[in-house]
Amino acid sequence: MSHVQPATDPLVPAKPGFAERRAALRRGVPLAVLILLVGVSAIIAPGTLSPAALNGFISDAAPLMILVIGSTIPILTGSIDLSVAGIASITGVMLVVLAPIFGPWTCLVVVLLALLFGALQGWLHAWLQIPSFITTLGTLSMLSGLSLLLSNATAQPLPDSDPFINLLGDTSFDIPNTGFATLVLVAVLALVMRYTRIGRDLFALGAGERAALMSGVRNVRLRSFAFAISAGCAALAGLALVSVTQFSSPTLAGNLLLLSIVGVVLGGTAISGGVGGLWAGVIGGLITAWLRVATVLIGVKPTGQYIVFGVMALIAVFLTTDRTKIGIIK
Amino acid sequence: MQLLETRGVGKIFGRVTALEQMDLVLNQGEVLGLVGQNGSGKSTLLKIIGGLVQPSSGEMLLHGKPVRLRSQSDATMHGIGMVHQEQSLVPNLTVAENIFLDKPNPAKAQGLYRWKQLYEAAAAQLRKIEVDIDPRAIVEDLRFAQRQQVELAKVLAVEDLVSHPPIILFDEPTSVLTPEEIRLLFRQIDRLRQSAAIVFVSHRLDEILHISDRAVVMTDGRKVADEPVSALNRESLYRLMVGRQRAIRAPRGIQSDEADPSKARLQVSGLSAGQQVRPATLSVAPGEILGLLGVQSSGAEEFCRALFGAEDNVQGKIKLNGAQISVPSPAAAVQAGIGYLPANRHVEGMLKGRTLVENMALTFGLDYGHRGILVNRRAERQVATEWIGRLKVKTRSADARIDDLSGGNQQKVVLGKWLLSRRLQLLLLDHPTRGLDPGARDDLFAVIRAEAAKGLSVIFIADTIGEVLDLSDRVIVMRDGTMSAEYNLNRGDAPSEEDLVRAMV
Repeated sequence: MSHVQPATDPLVPAKPGFAERRAALRRGVPLAVLILLVGVSAIIAPGTLSPAALNGFISDAAPLMILVIGSTIPILTGSIDLSVAGIASITGVMLVVLAPIFGPWTCLVVVLLALLFGALQGWLHAWLQIPSFITTLGTLSMLSGLSLLLSNATAQPLPDSDPFINLLGDTSFDIPNTGFATLVLVAVLALVMRYTRIGRDLFALGAGERAALMSGVRNVRLRSFAFAISAGCAALAGLALVSVTQFSSPTLAGNLLLLSIVGVVLGGTAISGGVGGLWAGVIGGLITAWLRVATVLIGVKPTGQYIVFGVMALIAVFLTTDRTKIGIIK
Repeated sequence: MQLLETRGVGKIFGRVTALEQMDLVLNQGEVLGLVGQNGSGKSTLLKIIGGLVQPSSGEMLLHGKPVRLRSQSDATMHGIGMVHQEQSLVPNLTVAENIFLDKPNPAKAQGLYRWKQLYEAAAAQLRKIEVDIDPRAIVEDLRFAQRQQVELAKVLAVEDLVSHPPIILFDEPTSVLTPEEIRLLFRQIDRLRQSAAIVFVSHRLDEILHISDRAVVMTDGRKVADEPVSALNRESLYRLMVGRQRAIRAPRGIQSDEADPSKARLQVSGLSAGQQVRPATLSVAPGEILGLLGVQSSGAEEFCRALFGAEDNVQGKIKLNGAQISVPSPAAAVQAGIGYLPANRHVEGMLKGRTLVENMALTFGLDYGHRGILVNRRAERQVATEWIGRLKVKTRSADARIDDLSGGNQQKVVLGKWLLSRRLQLLLLDHPTRGLDPGARDDLFAVIRAEAAKGLSVIFIADTIGEVLDLSDRVIVMRDGTMSAEYNLNRGDAPSEEDLVRAMV
């Protein structure tokens, strides 16, 4: 008769098991895809890595990256925010409408409004237990309608004296400032996710909502926070977009909704929640942005791009779904 | 007569050997009692025989002929049925549909149901086990015990599929049943005894000794004993299984201080939850272990859940250390220092896919952080590892995923989530020993006693009367949502099992 484990030290030296290797694979594959994608593009058209082309890429990618990073947060909790494209679009319209009232502070006011709107939306979804999919689909429609209404469905020039927009549209060290803004955003969010309770609770909600609730996780507050962040990021993305175009258009970000979600899943964040993270969002955003470049390079017409992105979305979801979680015994 | 034989059957999951070189014979007319600690390979063996898991090595012989079971329905077609620990019925289908879900039935023709024939066939199956349930009823409308009977009828219907005697596997069927329901189940097993080969798994040694003809003891995936039950008693079986002597309870000196309610840890007045818990008043002293006893739906579980803020329509006042908890919710309860170990750990206790450390640090990890704001992962990891040791969790690493542990070890991790707190005041344990082997249960009880001695108050709902008498300072019996009897064990009240059962039903 053997004593199974000595009481003092039940820990056998750790070796990575099957599950850990799988998880490592899921983390590593998106990065490999990104490198491969960039490498192949560089071979086909060496010009894509020239400083000018890279700067073009950064201005093009930054709004999308910010959207993807923001969208990642609600998806980690198992919810989804479809209203981000609507918020990004209405940001420019609000800038034009509110500039006469708030003058140089307009950008700040717009971002604060977005944060509030997101928090309210998250609260509605969690407190009234309306599925996030339908809550944010509703608000997406409302926001799109409001943008058209407020702007009379026309593109309008931005007030040219806005300091924040001018700063975003400028360059430092010959690199677009929107790129730096993205970096700062990622750094701040990464610190929050890693060193506060919020990060852990977001993952817990996504991994097992009832267990998280029964462990004292404050569901309603946390979801309000998650949706506030995604809405705030969407507003920043909207600012980054108009800083390039210098025009506000009520449908400016309309085509970015699918792309932002494709970006989230391509990075390895599971749409069912609990798996993934900010880093996955960064990689996924870069892949998606680069795909836009690559599709043009290999001669896909702009009209055909959406077919490519749709297919990519399906493949990414297929690869990132954690099937052990469903627990089917084969 | 020999029905089934396994020869050198083994199973390896990744790097873990769950079962090794298992030779086992199942005979007609014999009930085989299968016991072993958590993670000893019982479930794996049962799943292999039931077709749910493919063995990595060895072979199985059915009536002397080698057989490969590719799935559970394949096993069903070979006359092997399995009664699961947690019920496997589809709740929104009728009783009749459930009974014939996994087998060909007389009522399907060209892909269309013939409802009348289906109901008749189901009624025949239910008559066979002498229960009176309408085959047209929807399963979720049935009481728990009735669902168990439907499950049994479903499994026993395999008798009709094969010409030879069936093999019926019971995977801890009694752990969720009341004493009365257990008696009914045993009557069914006795009825089947002659015409089938039965494997019965339970952590309750008394049940094994009572119902089985032969007992097989497993440790670390191997068979360590295979003996007729007549040669065994409780003590020898326990020793075979755990490898050490059973600890005897030492009486403790904690008094529940009803005379001085200002010193009470918990004061509950008029607490109710819908129809399930009638207004109840109660106080618990620091360091006291209060056992709650009651049959299914007696209100004991709901009372604990109401205390934790996890029930709907909670009314009444809850005071912890004299301070009232404003809006009952799990978050508020946790904030005040109340922990709850749920009966359903898969859904409410553990975060699947996350590591042991992540699971344990979820609620009170911040106790070890900076100023209650910033997380200190190293400190959390250290304290979680300490508790993994204290609770004797069997794991490869603190960073293993909780899904990879056996049920009893998962339960210990979920308990560790609460115990690692520095400010836990009251711990509610809802069937903490469900799925735990006797050795693990004794470990668990020892840890709870030690924490209570340091001042933690505990309210605990037991699986058996024996457990309540073993662990509690005070016992309260609940019936129909009210408290029907109270015994203070430390003041010399010594209720007999009959007293307690009478108060329960």
